[in-house]
Amino acid sequence: MKRRDFLKTTTALMGGTILYGAPAMAASHSAPVTGGTLIWGHSETTQNLDMHQTGTASTGRVLQNVHDSIVTVDKDLKVIPNLAESFEQSEDGLVYTFKLRPGVMFHNGKTMTSADVKFSFDRCRNPDTGAVNFEVFNNVASIETPDDLTVIITLGQVNAPFLSRLAENGAGVIMPEGSGEVQGTTPIGCGPFKFVRREFGNEVELERFDDYWGGPAYLDKVIAREITEPTVRLTGLRTGELHMINDIPADRIAEIEADPNLQVVAWFPLNWDFVNFNHDYEPFKNPKVREAFDYMIDKEVLLEGALWGQGKTTASPSYPTSASYNAALTQRPQDIEKAKALLSEAGYGPGDLKVVFKATTNYPYHIEAAQIMLEWFRMAGVDASIEQLTWADWLSQCWVDKDFQITMMNFFTLWEPDFLYYSLWNTEGAFNYRKISNPMVDELTAKARVTVDPAERAEVYKQVQQVVHDETLDVVLWFRNGTIGAQPTVMGLDTIVHPNGSNLRFHKVWLAA
Amino acid sequence: MRIPAAFRRSKGLIGAILVLSVFLVALLAPVFIPEDWATQMDMRARLSPPTWAHPLGTDQLGRDLMYRVLLGAQTSIYIASAAVLMSIVIGLPLGLISGYVGRTTDNVLMRLVDTLLSFPALLLALTISAVLGPNLQNTIIAIGIAFTPFLARIIRGEALRVAQMPYVEGARTAGNSDFRIIVHHILPNIMPAVIVQSTISLAFAILAEAGLSFLGLGTQPPDASWGLMIQASRDYLDRAPWTALVPGVAVAVTVLGLNMFGDALRDALDPRAKGGS
Amino acid sequence: MSYLVNRLLSMMLTLFLISVITFTVTNILPGDVAMMIMGTQSNPEALAGLRQSLGLNDPLIVQYGRWIGGMLTGDWGNSLVFKEPIAPLLLQKMKASALIVLFSMSIALVCAVPLGVWAAVHANRWQDTAASSASLVGVSLPDFFWGIMLILLFARGLGWLPSSGFIDPADDIWGAMRHALLPSLALGLGLMAHLTRMTRATMTGILNQEFIRVARAKGLDEGTVVWRYGLANAVGPVMTVAGLQVGYLFGSIIVIESLFNFTGMGWLTYQALLNRDIPLIQASVFVIAAVVMLANLIVDLLYVAVDPRIRLS
Repeated sequence: MKRRDFLKTTTALMGGTILYGAPAMAASHSAPVTGGTLIWGHSETTQNLDMHQTGTASTGRVLQNVHDSIVTVDKDLKVIPNLAESFEQSEDGLVYTFKLRPGVMFHNGKTMTSADVKFSFDRCRNPDTGAVNFEVFNNVASIETPDDLTVIITLGQVNAPFLSRLAENGAGVIMPEGSGEVQGTTPIGCGPFKFVRREFGNEVELERFDDYWGGPAYLDKVIAREITEPTVRLTGLRTGELHMINDIPADRIAEIEADPNLQVVAWFPLNWDFVNFNHDYEPFKNPKVREAFDYMIDKEVLLEGALWGQGKTTASPSYPTSASYNAALTQRPQDIEKAKALLSEAGYGPGDLKVVFKATTNYPYHIEAAQIMLEWFRMAGVDASIEQLTWADWLSQCWVDKDFQITMMNFFTLWEPDFLYYSLWNTEGAFNYRKISNPMVDELTAKARVTVDPAERAEVYKQVQQVVHDETLDVVLWFRNGTIGAQPTVMGLDTIVHPNGSNLRFHKVWLAA
Repeated sequence: MRIPAAFRRSKGLIGAILVLSVFLVALLAPVFIPEDWATQMDMRARLSPPTWAHPLGTDQLGRDLMYRVLLGAQTSIYIASAAVLMSIVIGLPLGLISGYVGRTTDNVLMRLVDTLLSFPALLLALTISAVLGPNLQNTIIAIGIAFTPFLARIIRGEALRVAQMPYVEGARTAGNSDFRIIVHHILPNIMPAVIVQSTISLAFAILAEAGLSFLGLGTQPPDASWGLMIQASRDYLDRAPWTALVPGVAVAVTVLGLNMFGDALRDALDPRAKGGS
Repeated sequence: MSYLVNRLLSMMLTLFLISVITFTVTNILPGDVAMMIMGTQSNPEALAGLRQSLGLNDPLIVQYGRWIGGMLTGDWGNSLVFKEPIAPLLLQKMKASALIVLFSMSIALVCAVPLGVWAAVHANRWQDTAASSASLVGVSLPDFFWGIMLILLFARGLGWLPSSGFIDPADDIWGAMRHALLPSLALGLGLMAHLTRMTRATMTGILNQEFIRVARAKGLDEGTVVWRYGLANAVGPVMTVAGLQVGYLFGSIIVIESLFNFTGMGWLTYQALLNRDIPLIQASVFVIAAVVMLANLIVDLLYVAVDPRIRLS
């Protein structure tokens, strides 16, 4: 079975990128050519183009080419210099000194200085900006610029994840001073491509920036056509209207892989999914009930059913190659009888428990997954129903008002575990929309924030995962694969996926004649 | 070649048979088919073309399309009927009062109705559904409200026409109360028009339910409704066209039946509209 | 003249009511724009700040005043989710929708009128039965079903036409037509069936009237009778029905544009609704209602021009 083979490869290459298709392999040895316009069938609609204000993956995916962050991460997720040529942290972990790369040009022709860095960070931490990552700068006491190429940031208290949070554009992006007003419609940065125009809902046009500090890109232009219908995207690729598409419909991947005229890039993980309980809903206050629901779910079958097997089940949401990935955790197998027994121990006989599963149509596979789980819930004697919510409604009902019983969501597996564990499971966490309050998790996640030694920190996060699993705070399901389908003429695809698994970077991509 | 009149008249009969069959399916399917047959999944037979085991094929979760379309009938018919009923309940008094009382009341009410008519019905239903949140009951309300102005307008026109009839004049001079005149003289005379319009509205309501579900704002999964089935088929159109064809044909047959029946009914009840095919 | 003045005055009143209804309904939409902007990263402090700066805390009447004032002075504000100024955005999307609405209307009229006349002339013969049956089936199929069938046949099956996307006619007229054809057909086929039925019904009525019999008795040839006398009298009613269908079309484009990924008004309105982008919903719903009203007004005026008797009543 093709899927099994595929899974085996992905498992072996956890966190890596796989290329299918002989033509790319053969031709990738030839020298890159400059020129050409690449037409990309983008799976989502870009929204607010202001890198600080936008919270959507779709926009970040495109803007990755327009912007650069002060630091970044390498393949092993280690923070490395980027726009800062070097950086150092004081002994006490409170002072960060960045030495900027000289001669970095912005698209508006100006040269980057420490003033731009200060402007960008100040803009991000100013509540009036409405920056989604503004809490990254919560502990910042001062930002100083002693000279044009030096930035000194002083924290009021230790914040171990600070540096690695600056390794992504959301918080770490550097914009030219005074460009705040125009970022929302015509973003300016210092990335390899200039933003040319966006025809809203239709396409975004990017043009090579010849003065890019990392050397000019090969492509003249990238046109991102926003095609949200998966089958339409696929047809475009097949007919040659598009050079490449991201997010191949899961049920078609095997077919595209087998097509000698197309290449497939698959990587792992794109993101991860979990099932959530509202810990304020009376029945779910009882850990036995939560555990019972965990026992109702056959994760492998669910993965096959909702994602046509395009992913891998996991009990740990940490980035698979990162130090905090807890490989010792295993998911609970499906056991309907055990689930029933746990429910009756908790005082719920068959038909006593009534739950509504809220799933968002923003992720169609969540709707499929909910329908499959519903069958199992009913088998275990739970009276369950589904409510499909638009993204807006999901956000307002589940995320903000916390008005739900069961739901599911996906998250990026960022390299910085604090972003995951503190935000999601700490009582005070910004993403704790399940009203979870577990003293052990609170203590551990707080401890990790002030633990500077990386190995020690990783251990702490593994303990957090153990508690999340033992107490069934949520049910972690799987990592989902990311995929790109492309014409054989598209080269350099092994460099396209940004370490965050979502963003695409066209700097080293080129078109063979 | 002349088409025999009997055949032309049979249009109404065919329509009636189609409508009756669909209503029977909607009523009886839940009695004879266990409800969970529509949600039972078979992961080994996903998007299966029609076979002996699944005469109409299966959908993306391996659910039998025959059971889904049969059990889906009740959802679609129920929503459409309830919505039309609701639009009659609101639209009938509005139209009657407006047409009978006339003057300022008529002006104000009809100005409002005309304004509402400027909003495309589907847009109105979509917005209302977004306001109320998507579930079965709200879908009914959304479609019901969206259809009310049409009905009110037609009833008002009819009431206006009947109110000017000599016998109504006569009843008025005889000292009958307005209420009595409306109930005993006007209502019976506008009923044919109401019935015809309801049949046609029912056809539109079926389409509207399908449209709303198609956009994800109608019936909720895993319940089967025809619109929801068509929505789910979108991503598998080229691989498994039967997933769209099965519910699509069900909608088409029902609406066709209603239209044929409605046409015949109009010819029979409303002699002025003769000739409408 | 006073008819026109009357009509325009009542139009202004209707527009005002449309604006009030649009504003009221959209304001009771659940969900919050501030939340949509911040997505999964929203936190209470940032939300509160954003709400304040967006003016979401002001009383409704103040918000309505600000909104209608802006609409009247051409300042339609920005889409909150997409950050684009609304007026140019709507203009651009309205052009796209106008393309398929006009295209489908032309297809429908060009086919429906001769077909309806033909059926009426051969009333109750096989030609009539064929045309009437076909149009009955036509009005009974949902437009998105037409859309799906067209995609299956012309895009997937035969590969003749693209199944998605919008191209600006100013950039590439041929490409624009190719992309607009399938959605226009999906919109137009049902409309065509409806208009065929209307034309047939109207023509049947007219052909049975006294003056037609007189014309025939005078020895005028049948072609002249049907097309000059018959159709001339049918044009008014048929046009009225066609005009009324503009409203129906603007409802249908929501489904059809989303099916064909055709980024026009319908698509935009649906996106705005999904995203709870209130200013965008308000503006696009208002514009659609205004356009529908305008279409009806134009039809009315044309009707008067075609048939002077109306002015008397």
